[in-house]
Amino acid sequence: MIDSLCDKAGGKDIAVVGLYCDFLAQQEQSTTSMLGAILKQFASRGGIPGHIREAFQKAKREFGGRSLRLPDVVEILKKSSTSLERIFVCIDALDELVPKYRRELLRLLYEIVQVSPNMRILLTGRPHIDDEVAEYFSKAVRIPVSPTQGDIRSYLKMRLDVDTTPKAMDDELRADIMRVIPEKISEMQARI
Amino acid sequence: MSSGRPQVTGNINSFNSIINFVTEIDAEGCQIMKWLSLLEPQQRHQGVRIDRLDGVGNWVLETNEFRKWCDGKDDCVEPLFCCGDPGVGKTYLR
Repeated sequence: MIDSLCDKAGGKDIAVVGLYCDFLAQQEQSTTSMLGAILKQFASRGGIPGHIREAFQKAKREFGGRSLRLPDVVEILKKSSTSLERIFVCIDALDELVPKYRRELLRLLYEIVQVSPNMRILLTGRPHIDDEVAEYFSKAVRIPVSPTQGDIRSYLKMRLDVDTTPKAMDDELRADIMRVIPEKISEMQARI
Repeated sequence: MSSGRPQVTGNINSFNSIINFVTEIDAEGCQIMKWLSLLEPQQRHQGVRIDRLDGVGNWVLETNEFRKWCDGKDDCVEPLFCCGDPGVGKTYLR
């Protein structure tokens, strides 16, 4: 999604930012660090805005140098968003965040969108977080993603091309694999 | 000859001061980046880009829902939620 959006956005006053959630990095992926990573992408795109620099210097002057707090990052995000025409925020695998942080992130994104209506959010995740997403964004548009037969064939072709024991393969077996597997997967999807 | 020399020195001086100026900004810039977040989603994105299989899942980009979300001119566009089971390719949508 990010690359398609970047192609479209090319050069305009449009920011495309991406966040990846990961089971294996749950501790690091706090709401503060996730929202901070959005800011980081703004900054690496067009230089560090003056108000972020000021906030950093202020925090640094405090005892021991204060780390970024959640209310601060939310305020900075609201302020940073106003200078852009449009912001696309893509968050992948939202289900992999700790539930506590996931709810907090959704709540704050909702809050930010209220003052920054130029921000558009795209989420991906497993269906079980459906209700949670709807709790904060009741009108969120749902796109169920499942591979098409063409997608499955492309994937199979790639796997067969990198097969490490090509001698075990002949044209007939290859044709069978390419025919049977997409059919079976479609049957399974139809049953679900 | 002699009139050229001070000019050259002057250039070197200004060159040095420019370099120093830039490094100072960069050092603070790096600190600011780390202060904002230790996460590096751009690195993960590079990995996704490398592993992606061209064309797979592109149908999502053609849906009316995606087009409306992406190209709509109005403010306050509702979020999109692409949901699916593990392994269906949500992460690798282009």
